[in-house]
This record gives sequence, C-alpha cells and structure tokens, in this order.
Amino acid sequence: MGAYELSLLTLIGINVMLALSLNLITGFCGQISLGHAAFYGVGAYTGAMLTTSGQPFLLALVVAALFAAVAGVIVGLASLRVREDFLAITTMGVGFLFLGVVRQQEWLGGELGISQIPETGLGDGGFIMLVVGATALVFAASVYLKRTWMGFAFDSIADDEDTARTVGIDVARYKLTAFAFGTAIAGIAGCLYAHYARIIVPDAFGFTVSITILAMVVVGGIGSTIGVTIAAVVLTLMPELFRFVNDYKLLLYGGLLLLTMRYSPQGFAGLVRQAAAKARSKSEATP
Amino acid sequence: MLFIDLLVQGLIQGSSYALIAVGLTLVYGLLRILHVAHAGLFTLGAYIAVVVTNTLGSFWLAAVIAPPIVGLAGMLVYRLLYEPILDQPPFVPLIASIGLFICMEEGFRLIFGPYGNSFDEAPFSASLSFGPVYMQGVEAATVVIAFVLLGALAVLAARTRLGTAWRASVTDPQMAQSFGIDIVKVRYLNFFIGSALAAVAGVLVALLNNFVEPTLGSVPSYKMLAIIVLGGLGNVKGTLVAALALGVLESFGTIYAGHLIDRDAIAFLFLIIVLMVRPQGFFGKA
Amino acid sequence: MSLLDVSNAFVRFDGVTAVNDVSFSLDDGEFVGLIGPNGAGKTTLLKVISGVLPPGGGRVVLNGQDVSDKPPFVRARAGLGLSHQIVRPFRSMTPVDNVALAAGATETRNPLKALARTDRTAARARARELLDLVGIGDAAEADPSNLPLGYLKRLEVARALALEPKLLLLDEPLAGLNHVEAGRLADTVTAINGQGTTVLLIEHNLSEVMRICRRLLVLDQGRLIADGAPQTVMSDARVRAAYLGESTEDADAAA
Repeated sequence: MGAYELSLLTLIGINVMLALSLNLITGFCGQISLGHAAFYGVGAYTGAMLTTSGQPFLLALVVAALFAAVAGVIVGLASLRVREDFLAITTMGVGFLFLGVVRQQEWLGGELGISQIPETGLGDGGFIMLVVGATALVFAASVYLKRTWMGFAFDSIADDEDTARTVGIDVARYKLTAFAFGTAIAGIAGCLYAHYARIIVPDAFGFTVSITILAMVVVGGIGSTIGVTIAAVVLTLMPELFRFVNDYKLLLYGGLLLLTMRYSPQGFAGLVRQAAAKARSKSEATP
Repeated sequence: MLFIDLLVQGLIQGSSYALIAVGLTLVYGLLRILHVAHAGLFTLGAYIAVVVTNTLGSFWLAAVIAPPIVGLAGMLVYRLLYEPILDQPPFVPLIASIGLFICMEEGFRLIFGPYGNSFDEAPFSASLSFGPVYMQGVEAATVVIAFVLLGALAVLAARTRLGTAWRASVTDPQMAQSFGIDIVKVRYLNFFIGSALAAVAGVLVALLNNFVEPTLGSVPSYKMLAIIVLGGLGNVKGTLVAALALGVLESFGTIYAGHLIDRDAIAFLFLIIVLMVRPQGFFGKA
Repeated sequence: MSLLDVSNAFVRFDGVTAVNDVSFSLDDGEFVGLIGPNGAGKTTLLKVISGVLPPGGGRVVLNGQDVSDKPPFVRARAGLGLSHQIVRPFRSMTPVDNVALAAGATETRNPLKALARTDRTAARARARELLDLVGIGDAAEADPSNLPLGYLKRLEVARALALEPKLLLLDEPLAGLNHVEAGRLADTVTAINGQGTTVLLIEHNLSEVMRICRRLLVLDQGRLIADGAPQTVMSDARVRAAYLGESTEDADAAA
C-alpha cells in the first residue's frame, strides 16, 4: 500500500470508531446526541496539548479518553433531565458551546488551533497498526456488548425507560455508562486524528462533523454494529474515491439523512432485515 | 451612549430572530417537529429578494412575491417530507429536517454560487435619528415590521375562527377533528404563514447586510431552536420575548464576554442552563 | 407482620385531588382487591406505591424499608412487581425476552458486572415457565406489536412475576381477556398468592374480585371509604352509593 492508501485507511479507522461510539450511545442506549464531535474534539485537544508539551503519546491517548469520558458523563447528566428531541437540542447546544468556547481560548490556539503536533514515536507503520487495532477492538467490543446483560438493559432503556425502571433497571447509571464508554472512544479517535493530521483547528469538531457521524449511524441503521461500520467505511471512501463526490460531499450526507429518515428510518440494516423477513415468509408460504 | 446603542442593536437583531422563530414554534406546537429546515426557507426568502431585484429591477416586486413563494415552499416541505413520517419518534423528522436543510444550503451554493450575492444597488440607505440614537431606515423597518406582523398574528390567533381552529388543533387534534376542524388544512396554513414570515425576515436581513450567502441560515437554524425552547415550545408570546432577550443579550455579551465565548454560542449556554433547571422551558408550554 | 405501609398518601393534579390522605397496610401473604368507580384514584395510588409518580405527600414503607423518596427501580429491587393498566411491553423484544430481562434483575443490578455476563439461558428458561403459567407460552417468540390485548395483559403479569416480588401490584390484568381466560388467570394469581406472594389487585370485573379477594379496599374520589372483608364492604351504604352513582361505568366495565 502507498502512502495515500495508508492515510485513507487511518481515516476510515477513525471514522468507524467515531460512528460506533455514537452508535453505542444513540443506537444501543437510545440517547440521541447531535454534539458527538465535541467529545472527538476534547480528545484531540487533550492529546495534542499533552504531546506538544512533551508528554508521551500513549499517555496522551489514555488521558484523552479519560477527559472525553468525563465530559461525556457531564453531558450524560443532561440525558437524565431531558429526553428525545429536547436531548437532541441540548447535545447540539453542547457542540456549539464547545466550539464557541474553544475558538476564544488563546491557550488552545484560538481559531488557528494547534499545529506542529509531534510524531507519535511509533513510526508510520506502527501508528497505522495502532489505528487498525483500536478500530478492530472497538468493533469487537461493540458486538460483544450487544450480547451482554448490559446490552440487554440498554435495549430496554432505548425502548421504554420508564418501564425499564419498573423491572429494576437503574436507568441513570446505565445511561451514564453509555455516555462514558461512547465518549471515551470518541476521545481516543480524536487523539488519533490529532496525531494523524498533526494540526487541529476548531472547525474540525463542529456541527457538520457531528452530523457526518450521525449520518453514518443513521444510514447504516441505528443500533446495528455491522450496518454502521459499513456505512462509515462507504461514506468515508466515496468522497475520496470519486472527486466529483467530494465537491458535493455535504449534499450527499444531507440527502442520505433526508432519504433514510423519509423512507427507511431503520437505515440500511432495517432494509436488510425487512428483505430477510419477506424472503422467510415467502419460503414459508411455498414450502 | 454605548448602552443605548447596544440595546437598540440587540432589539433589531432580536426582531429578525422573532420573525424566523415564530414559524418554528408554530410548527412545533402543531406537530412536535423541530423544523430545522425552516432556516433554509428564510435563506430562500433572502435570495429571492436579491435575485429578483437585480434581474427585474424592482425591489418592491421582490418583497411582495417572496413571502407567498416561500410560504408555498413551506407547504411543500410539509407535504413531501413531514406528513409521511408524522407517526415516527421525534428524532426521525428532526434528522430528516437537518438533512433537508443541508441539501438546501448546498442547493443555494450550486445555483447562486459559493461567494454570495449583493444588491446591484442597495435599495434603502437613509438613516434616521431618534434623539441620541441613530439607526438605518431598514433597521427601524425591521423592528416595526416584526412587531406589526407578530401583533397581527397574535390577533389572528386570539380573535378569529381560524385562530380558534389552530389553537384547538394544537391542544387536542382529535377533539378538534371531532368538532369539524380540518386539521390538515390547519397544518398547511401553519406552514404557509410560518414560512412566509421567515421570508419577510429573509428580505429584511438581505437589506440589512446587503449580502446573501448560501450559509446565511446556518447560525439562525440552530439558534432558533434555542429560542423556541427558551420561549416555551408552541408559545408565540414567549418566543417573542426570548428572541428579543437573546438579541439584546448577544449584543452586550459580544462586548463584555467576547473573549470567553463566541457570540453565537451564548444562546446555547442559556439554553442548556434553562433546560437543566426547568426542562419545560422558561415560559412553559402553550 | 406488615409488608406494605402507606400513610397519608396525597396526590394533586392541576387542582384536582386524585388521592386524598389514604392510609392502609398490607400484611404478608394477603390478597387484597382495590376497587372503586372510574376516576376514584386507584391507578394513581398504585403509581405512588410503585414510585412511578412522585406523590404530593405521605410515606410508603415496603418490607420495613422506607421507600418514599426512592425511584421505581429501588422499589422493584426491594420486592415490588407491577403490571400496568395500559400495557407497556418492550416492543423491540419478543415476549420471552421481555420477561427474561425482568427474570435477570440480579444480572443487571450492577452495570459493570452486567458487562461481564452474557448467558441468558437460565433467565429465558424461567421466562418460558412464566409465559406458560399465565397461558401465553404459544406467543413466546412473537412480535409484541402483533399480539392482542389479552396477551399483552398477561405478558405484563408474567414480567412482574419474573421479578419474584414479595408484593405484586396488578392494575386491571383481566381487562381484554375473555371469560375463560380471565377465570384462569385469576386462579393463577390466587395460586401465586398461595405460595406466599402478597397481591394488591385493581379490577373492574367485580365477580372475579368477589371470588378471589379476601379483603377489599374501596376508593371514591381519592378517599379510602371502606376496608374489610368483601361481603361486609359490598353491603356498606357508602360503597353502594359510590357505585350506584356510577352505574354507567359498570356497564362500560362489563362491555
């Protein structure tokens, strides 16, 4: 693989991690978030600040995850107060607030962000191995989590949190756990991105990015690990492989969001499930 | 007289917020949809003002046709996008609306170009003075028009049969239907009026800035959500108060807190604080 | 010894007093019917006991533990099972999973421990037993959205039972069931009570109530107007007045 392919692979890995991390919060636990890029940003800024001040990369990675998770739990507290569309507006607000504050902070580089972020010390090959490994781990963890009793409890909360409470589920703790896990992964993705791009600016973590991540989750099928992963890969590759798509990237994302919600709110995974159910009932009808 | 200047600037800004936000709060009141794409309709109104004025030479023609065209566009959005997904959970129309809004912005970019458009000749440039306060004629007009139109809307809602039908449809659609109110008609009308008001705001903002660009609606789109929540969803009076208050708050905030936080993030700071303290918004539901 | 102590429960909505200074106790092992005309506040009182609705005042002591300020999940863990009047199945899950989730309450008690556990076999087996017990074992793997009300009502009961509650709160479990199904479910509940579970039952089907309950509480306009053995309570003048004033309601309930 050439340098371009490797760089593309890194980008895919980062986007898959971001999409799966949002899927954990929004898909598994049912808590909609329109400000996920803020946690990605917290991770990127934390990691960049640490390594530019001479700390080792792996320490930066851990602290980035930690800081993002703390921010995530704080925002998760909002999900205990407001629900559904109100939670959507609140998390959207958190995204704008993050950007609005970061832009005005001189010690974070203001509008210009942080540049000259140092090498990781792992070498190009090592770094890519790390990204690919982390992505695979997040994917495996997602598949595993869905099968655990935690995943079972998440299902019930996503479905009807009031009823979940009456069968003994501590909804608040589960929600906060979902936010902590999801945002920690976003933080790791952010730190990886900062050391891949070597320069970060506030706009890389804006509302458009939150919507891009959401598009991957929604188009792939909310809650479906496989669907979301495929969507993240395809949506990252399309603008890169086809130059003309790159010019209309936002139109593509916007259009996909629109069409998915209008015609198949369960996304690609929902379409596949429907087709499978139809095929099954057909084969039952004609044995 | 910095204080008065800031206050006046805030009220001007707040008036245009109010014109846009009222349509959004009406849609939410009726359908519980967060209609983000509303800001795209606002941008459409601004584009019609500039493009029609420049090609046909008459600003007044542009100002007269913009509201009904955008009103019809609003009805179309309801018919094609929202009506088929009314029974879905609230995040579905919300995300669909965000998708539509992005598509509209990109559409404007493709049709009108990415760099924005100005009037060939700015239609109004007179300025007025009220004692110590100077303001442009357009700025004064924005405040007056906002108050007149929203006042008229309030009278319409309170005093006419149509208003009664609308309020009944908001409180209890099934009951309204059983009283013979055609709630589908009410919804179309709702979208028409809300979108037409956004177009008026678009025309005024085009004049104020003498500039329209594809992303004109970006900041308002999400800021409006904050305003309608602060104002109590579906509550027209509350929305008006919240819009004006935010306009004023921003104009002071930029001066006194600009080094801490971006102007456009102030709305969200308040939104988050208010939602955490009073999840039902400042003024409660209509 | 008393399992449940409700004292001075009080609920007010929009100026209407739904539950007005209600106090009563349930002893361990009792089978008590909670009756009264529509709008008397029965469901509201049940919501206060289960913690779904924060009351305007009063105390709830469950099994010696004051749970007045505790959320519903704490009460569920303290031994309270609730079946809703308006059915609320988890619609994304099959009936067997609905019940298995409740049967595995110990697995979900701590989120981090829940993350380490994947085995649902035991919980699902228990869930199937309970579905069979309430008579809907044939729908174990169905889509809840396609099931008739009578099935969903029994699913509610099975899910409440899966918590192995000390106190079972049942809100009109027989509505939507035909005569035979209703009689059978009533017998099932009686048998469960025979094994030691305390039952508090709201039911409009008065003939079943008279048949299975050994004590009745009567609510009218938010107040507890009678408490005692079924025959005594039903001959009480105030109770008769409350019901006669609501004769159309009885017709509705029978329909």
